[in-house]
Amino acid sequence: MNHIDRRSVLKYSAAAAAAATGLPGLVRAQGSGPLRIGLITPLSGPQEFIGSYVKNGAEIAVEQINKAGGILGRQVALEIRDDKANPAAALAAARELLGSGVNLHIGGISSAVVLALGPVMQQENGVFFTCGAGTEKMNHENYSPNLFRPGDSPDARTRAQAKLMAQKYPDITRWTGLVPDHEYGRTTWSIFVDGLLEFYPSIAKKKPEILDPILMPYGVVDYRNSITQALRQQADGVFNCTYGGDAITMFQQARGFGLMNRYKVICDAANEFLVARGLKQQFPAQWTGMHYYAEANKGNPLSDRFLADYQAKTKDAEPLGWAAEAHASIYALKQAIEKGKSTETAAVIANLKGMTWQTVTGPRTLRAEDNQAIKDVEMVYIEPAATEKGYKVTQYVKVDGKSVIFPPAPGKKLTLRSA
Amino acid sequence: MQAADIVTLLVNSLTWAMATFLVAAGLTLVFGTLHILNFSHGGFFMIGAYLAYSLANAIGGAPSIAMYLFGSLVAGVLVAVLGLVVDRLVLRRLAGVDDAYVLIATYALLLVCEGSTKLLWGLNYHSVQPPASLDGAWLLGNAVLPKLSLFIIGAGVIVFVALEYCLNQTRPGRLVKAIAADPWMARLLGVNVRLVYTATVALGFALAGLAGGLLVSNQTLSPTLASAFVIQAFGVIIIGGMGSIAGAFFGSILLGIIDAFGQWVLPGLPGLPFFLAMTLILLLRPQGLMGRRNH
Amino acid sequence: MRGSTFLGGGGRRRDALILLAVVVLGLCVPSFLNRGLVFIAGMIWINAVFGLSFNLLFGLSGVLSFGQAMFFAAGAYATAVFTQQFALPFIPALLLSALVGALLAAVVGLVALRRSEGVYFAILTLAFAELVHLLIANTAVLGRNDGLAGLQRPALGLGGWRIDLAAGDNFYFFIVAMCALLILLIRWIVDTPFGRALQAVKQDPERAEFLGIPVRKHRLAIFTLAGATTATAGALVAPWAQIVTPELAHWANSTSPILYTLLGGSAYFWGPVLGAVVLSAVFYVTRTLVGMSDMVTGLLLLVVVVSLPGGILGLLTRLTRGEGKR
Repeated sequence: MNHIDRRSVLKYSAAAAAAATGLPGLVRAQGSGPLRIGLITPLSGPQEFIGSYVKNGAEIAVEQINKAGGILGRQVALEIRDDKANPAAALAAARELLGSGVNLHIGGISSAVVLALGPVMQQENGVFFTCGAGTEKMNHENYSPNLFRPGDSPDARTRAQAKLMAQKYPDITRWTGLVPDHEYGRTTWSIFVDGLLEFYPSIAKKKPEILDPILMPYGVVDYRNSITQALRQQADGVFNCTYGGDAITMFQQARGFGLMNRYKVICDAANEFLVARGLKQQFPAQWTGMHYYAEANKGNPLSDRFLADYQAKTKDAEPLGWAAEAHASIYALKQAIEKGKSTETAAVIANLKGMTWQTVTGPRTLRAEDNQAIKDVEMVYIEPAATEKGYKVTQYVKVDGKSVIFPPAPGKKLTLRSA
Repeated sequence: MQAADIVTLLVNSLTWAMATFLVAAGLTLVFGTLHILNFSHGGFFMIGAYLAYSLANAIGGAPSIAMYLFGSLVAGVLVAVLGLVVDRLVLRRLAGVDDAYVLIATYALLLVCEGSTKLLWGLNYHSVQPPASLDGAWLLGNAVLPKLSLFIIGAGVIVFVALEYCLNQTRPGRLVKAIAADPWMARLLGVNVRLVYTATVALGFALAGLAGGLLVSNQTLSPTLASAFVIQAFGVIIIGGMGSIAGAFFGSILLGIIDAFGQWVLPGLPGLPFFLAMTLILLLRPQGLMGRRNH
Repeated sequence: MRGSTFLGGGGRRRDALILLAVVVLGLCVPSFLNRGLVFIAGMIWINAVFGLSFNLLFGLSGVLSFGQAMFFAAGAYATAVFTQQFALPFIPALLLSALVGALLAAVVGLVALRRSEGVYFAILTLAFAELVHLLIANTAVLGRNDGLAGLQRPALGLGGWRIDLAAGDNFYFFIVAMCALLILLIRWIVDTPFGRALQAVKQDPERAEFLGIPVRKHRLAIFTLAGATTATAGALVAPWAQIVTPELAHWANSTSPILYTLLGGSAYFWGPVLGAVVLSAVFYVTRTLVGMSDMVTGLLLLVVVVSLPGGILGLLTRLTRGEGKR
């Protein structure tokens, strides 16, 4: 019995080993054949919805580029991996791609993922473009020359929102926040407060009164206790940092309490059309920041083509901004590769720094000091509508990014004004 | 803390409690009778909610209360049918199998539920407007009591009373309890145990679907809805005593109040009071508040 | 199940040879595969130990724990904190992390085993694990939801010798060595009188008690030991992935060792190891099947549990027994 067991066990493990080493594509290296760019983004789990926009945006960019002849004469191929919004899974995917010769990557929506990838990209000599992570740390104490943010920096976006509030609502000075109790939530709120403290005095000539924000539990399905806490405050303006499905649940439950009716203005950090689509007629009118608003970019040939291609590919006439970020990332890489005539990391990084390139939102410039893009911040005012769609945009603005972005401070912690 | 605050907190606690009870009722029923802890119960709750959503979408606009309730019943029936299929294919083969295998099998079933939901309904977030008569709130002095909250509380109480009546006052119900207590004896006495098991499974799944429909306006619909309720439901039936509907009912009220007041006192550690309470009760009385010792 | 059930009929020599073969294969991996796959291979080693530790409880002693992730996370975070914030040298940090795991397991075991067993115990461990998850995710010193990133791979100083584990594949080799040691330890435990007593406890706790085996003490002891080995496996993850996040303590992570064990076959010593390899392979192969991972994993597991209760090794044994007709 022992004899047979041992033999068969060894036999099977040998077979398995042979099969494993025989698997194709395990030892390939970059250099010839298609130009492979890694796409590491959430394609399952809670952020899957946003990840799908990143994937579509990237694929459209690649299709457009390949139709026009590729990069340096080579066709581009995306290596798509699911990071599950989980740093460990992202790292495994990144190491796998880096190990198989892919040095250029885009993706990364979760702040934790981006912060985890920084050191690895540096160690393994790769480049990573985040398509919408909201952490300010990647331009400050966690700065890495291998990480790039082609979109709004959190300080530009959030301070642009504060500036807009001061401009449009100079009389609304009492503000509170609905803040999810984690890094991204708390930081976003702090930056908004900084903006209020700068722009209300300078534009509205009034001092803002900033109430203690309501800290929302993270990842639950019942927000009623937090909503009740918010009811007790007497605030006129509210800044909402909850996002995605959580935001929709929160708004749904808040409706029963009539919470949103108590505010004169609601400013949402980053939900784009996501919450409006979920709530439709139940949606409370509010301002929200967009990575990309198609209407505001009509006439820009890159935007028009992107929109047409996106609609043809997915039937979605209003792609959420993350798709545009992915699109812009691919085009940024294309320009840097062509300029330096090389896909090597060092050359690409050198050419990315300080580079200005055309995107669906117009020209953007990547700051050499901290790899952060300077671009115009887009915001829209969304109201519920009695239509099939359920909502409509009634105002949009573009705020000059240079007027709100903080000066670069790579390696240093972010310092903010506080109340 | 003013009186209005306490009232609001109580109503919030009861809303959470009844929502959790609605989900947990079917789970504890199936465990009590078949001794199968169905991890995928949350998945079928989610499917029930999505089915109710599709119905509401097909009709369009905000449903009336009657439509809302009807939708929940339809969801319950449809999920019950699904449950019968699952019973045939999976649950029957798990009879007498080690507990770990059952847990893993039902966990695998949960993954299949989540995957199917994504395939059938996509990744977008959806929401269902509550019926117009449930929108808004009643004001009790300074306390704001959302009508939807009161509806959920009412629904939970009605389901509890109905279940207790069925299980204790009707013959089929008493049969279920008898079989849960002693299947061997029941078989000896000529009871068709297999039939009663199947009926119980159907009822358990029906409750999951019904809960999904009743709670569809309570939160967003996304494929992660199942996992959101799993731990809550588990906690509540453990505290109440696995297999006891009344235990689940009172356990959920207890935990709801502890959780709400805990959040008031310790806002920095959400969920901690819940787990502490669960652990404490399990240590002091491992069979739960109303469970029996011999499982 | 027959005879010396947990060992699947094999002996020490056979298992030592298998371990040798596996180690040799493992050491060859960096020569064949690229860095990324070496990373996955390292994780497979760690997961194998995770699974084996679980099976010490489940397969050997009949104790079902649904919260092993808390020990895994405890070890990972302990190492992260000891090396990053207290600048301890690596080996002492590793040993301390094992101790942390053992202590946590002793506390949980003392409290939980006293009052419950079977399914109740399983759910209680789930509750404790969620508690740990919550505490980690809300503690500022542990990085809250974002965890601790930027962990360095250390250098080992042994006397006058210095091995830089950050260079090349060195840390992978260290993982192989460490995991081989842990596997040896676990295998040795199985064969001791203590191990055999645990098998008796699993088969019939009442009879074991009558025979003079202190059932609760033994369960507590094995629970503590499993906690220590799990924590050591978790400790290796900290410098390997170079980040620790609260997900490590999530209940879904507690299901991993159960999956490996059931897939491979809980009645066999090598079951969890095979399960870890196979499941990782499945995840790797389906990694580009975007969004389908839920369905695939779920269906695979369902099939295994419903039709292959003995796991892969159980199936193989049945087939080979048919082969060697006697």
